[in-house]
Amino acid sequence: MMTPETPLQTEETFAETERLESTSERMPAAPGPLESAPADAVFARAVLTSPLHLEVAAESRTNRWTEWNGYTVPQVLSNADEEYRALRGAAVMMDISPLRKYRIAGRDALRYLDRLVAGGMKPLGVDRARHVIFCESAGMVLGDGLLFCVGDDEYRLVTEEAHLAWLMDSAEGFRMRVEDVSTALAGLAVQGPLSAVALTQAGAAGIEALAPGEAANMSLAGIPVYVSRTGATGDLGYELWCDAEDAPHLWRVLLDAAAPSGLRPAGFALRELARLEAGHPRAGQDYLSAFAAIDGRDALPPAAIWPELEISSVRSLFNGGAALRAIRNVPPSRRIVRLAVEGFEPMCFSAVLSDGKIVGAATSTGFSPALGANIALAIVEAEAVAAGGLSVVAERWEGLSVVELPASVRVLAAPAFSHPRRVQHPAPLQP
Amino acid sequence: MLRVGNTFDAIVIGAGHNGLAAAARLAQQGRKVLVLEALEMPGGAAATSQIVPGYAAPAVAHLVEGLPRRIERGLKLGKHGLHYAARDVPTVALDRDGNHVLLPNNRKQFVAFSSRLPKDADAYRDYVALLRAQAALIEPLLGEAPPEMNDPVAMRRFFRRLVWRGELSGRAALKSLTQTLPESIGDRLDAEFTSPLLKGALAFDAIQGGAEGPYAPGTAFRAVWREAIRMQGRGLRQISGGTGALADALVAAIASQGGDIRFGTRVVRILVEGNEAAGVELADGTVLRAPLVISGINPRVTMLGLLGADRLETQAAMELHHAKPKGTLAKLNLALETAPHFTGLAPELQGARLLIAPSLREVDEAAMVCREGGFVSEPMMELHVPSVADPSLAPEGQHVLSVIVHHVPFDVDGGWEARREVFVQKVVRTIGTYAPGIADAMIAGEILTPPDIERKYGLAGGDWHQGDLRLDRLLGFRPSPAFGRYETPVKGLYLCGAGSHPGGGVTCLPGWLAAGKAGEGE
Repeated sequence: MMTPETPLQTEETFAETERLESTSERMPAAPGPLESAPADAVFARAVLTSPLHLEVAAESRTNRWTEWNGYTVPQVLSNADEEYRALRGAAVMMDISPLRKYRIAGRDALRYLDRLVAGGMKPLGVDRARHVIFCESAGMVLGDGLLFCVGDDEYRLVTEEAHLAWLMDSAEGFRMRVEDVSTALAGLAVQGPLSAVALTQAGAAGIEALAPGEAANMSLAGIPVYVSRTGATGDLGYELWCDAEDAPHLWRVLLDAAAPSGLRPAGFALRELARLEAGHPRAGQDYLSAFAAIDGRDALPPAAIWPELEISSVRSLFNGGAALRAIRNVPPSRRIVRLAVEGFEPMCFSAVLSDGKIVGAATSTGFSPALGANIALAIVEAEAVAAGGLSVVAERWEGLSVVELPASVRVLAAPAFSHPRRVQHPAPLQP
Repeated sequence: MLRVGNTFDAIVIGAGHNGLAAAARLAQQGRKVLVLEALEMPGGAAATSQIVPGYAAPAVAHLVEGLPRRIERGLKLGKHGLHYAARDVPTVALDRDGNHVLLPNNRKQFVAFSSRLPKDADAYRDYVALLRAQAALIEPLLGEAPPEMNDPVAMRRFFRRLVWRGELSGRAALKSLTQTLPESIGDRLDAEFTSPLLKGALAFDAIQGGAEGPYAPGTAFRAVWREAIRMQGRGLRQISGGTGALADALVAAIASQGGDIRFGTRVVRILVEGNEAAGVELADGTVLRAPLVISGINPRVTMLGLLGADRLETQAAMELHHAKPKGTLAKLNLALETAPHFTGLAPELQGARLLIAPSLREVDEAAMVCREGGFVSEPMMELHVPSVADPSLAPEGQHVLSVIVHHVPFDVDGGWEARREVFVQKVVRTIGTYAPGIADAMIAGEILTPPDIERKYGLAGGDWHQGDLRLDRLLGFRPSPAFGRYETPVKGLYLCGAGSHPGGGVTCLPGWLAAGKAGEGE
């Protein structure tokens, strides 16, 4: 037939094998063939443990655990307040292995990403990272993540939720491969004002030279580690990526070497609070992937989540581009906003009200010590945000009794916590 | 690479009848049009081929039934050499014992039909009346571009018109149409008729060589769709000089408007600049430029092969990725020394369309065996002796027989190389049971399996219809939602083949409508 059909076919078979490989990789604990498993096992959520599980478990003083992406992770290791003080005053170390990691490599990788990423790909230097988002054909957000260029024609995409099917569907017609390297690659975040100091003490000489969003291959106690100056805490911070087998050793080396600088391990609750203070929405929590949004209203265009991004004016071909250009002048009906609720004690609330009517929902809430107030990320009707006068009804628990407290809410223009140290270059080696 | 003379207003890929119709309409609007055809002759599936010198047969499609008069007139095809050798070609369901059934078209024929099948006569009259009433509801949709699905105003207008038509024709038709939509033709025929032969013939006509069997849901609606396609034209007709004469007339129409056609010119790539069609690249590396590129070839090959999945958004590419072309029709053209003699067939019906589909059960079995990669020993087929009405196709006193065999797999178990001979023998032996002595009268023959049709006439996957006429692949869903209105996500690139609304058949409608869309899109 048509000659161009031929490469298409090879691409197809290639994608087919790929799919098989990666499924087996994603479900390492599948007990034998599917037929022998009980009927509901197919849909049961996998119970996964991170490669750092034993090390992290050894640090747990509270036995409070939670679930993140199917992985068992600690909620709090020692004490929430102490962990927070370490984050903002010294440095903390967190296991971020449950994040999804995809390797995208091949000679068409950049062209592939240019079509995949909303707004197209501006050139990304080797050992640089950038926040990217991707949309489906109606211009609704599927997910966001951190894209690293780890070499010539080789990229690594780190996301909150699983996107392998979409990444592989999008690969047709490109000469490149997509691999799920989530289980092969462990992640370890070292965040806080003294994180550069802590890493220097652990042997990462010259770490302060890394600019924000920059990464480098280093060797820590003989372990090859890819260190990037990234993180979502609004402060100086690094993320360390290494082979899953080396991760426990790296954890111990860091804890032992950097303890003098105040480095201490922390749980998932702190990661969530830091993210909330820094004002970063999380996929699956603050917004839903368009494919997961059962109610069409829950699928959001990029402008509803990251209004600062200029995507719809880009004219090149990318997924969702045509749809976004078509709705360019239509402001989103709902948007994600950062809220602060007056009051000095932690409170629970979810409905966001305007004139007694529910106009939105708080999707992440927490008490921000930095701001001295309860803060939230909430999805609220855009008209109500513009009109102002939002309020919530907070619940405060005292023993076994609950009080309802109406409280006014203000919309924060800036994140609750954002320190200039975040972008300071070179990174400070003094507190 | 840009040279003088390599720039056009519109480039049409593929000189099938739809591509030619699109080119002719655009040329008529005063555009400088170029048609590029990979083969050495025009027509695609609507071509005339020479079996051996002196014997010509319609290469693939052998009769036309949905070619609208407005296209014929609009392109002045009569002036350019389109003539009919026969009009209102009757359809006969062949019976093994010679008690054939002529599907009646008028009162006189119906009387004969009633005496042949007294039990089914009334049911048949009701069946045809209902079919026509249902087809009349959707018929206007086939002659125009499908509505924009994302445009609520257009959709509302579309449904309002449909409902109004339903109200006007009495609600019964609309109600029965909604009942028909998911029904299978097999169930419907079983409920209404007793004669296996009649059921076989009606099921055969409804399936139209699709991959599904007569008991597949949605096949009853196909009979309605086919009836609506028939209503576009003026009855079943035979083109004089073979179906290829239509292509020749279209070529002449293009030439008279100053359009150009290049044969033996294969397009390997559609060029895009800033997400707008810019032209095409040929196999020899030549670049031809045009702001309008219209493809009459298979939508999947056009978009994923010539354009590239990387030039589309992921979901649009995936929609076509799933629609793999797989034809299920084979063609056999035979040169005969003498007139074929079908036992019990009246002499005036020698030029009729003859169906070999003895029973519904056998049609179903043939479809099932085909799905498993085989063919039955007595295949279902449609025969036509074009030389009865058009003696120019064969030397005097001699004939050609054109046979369309249904339910033939693209990938046959054991490979076509090994099974081809067996297949031909089975087909010829089956014809022999109806027309004894046909094997002895054979001088030469040409067999086209689905892979042969792909190779020789350029139909991807040997698929005549460029995708089954399935309920979920009609109107704005043909070939898939992102490409449903001839337009593609690439500005200036259009689809105009049978893969687009209203689908297969020698109707020229997809080409005509696509050219209309492309013309107004500028």
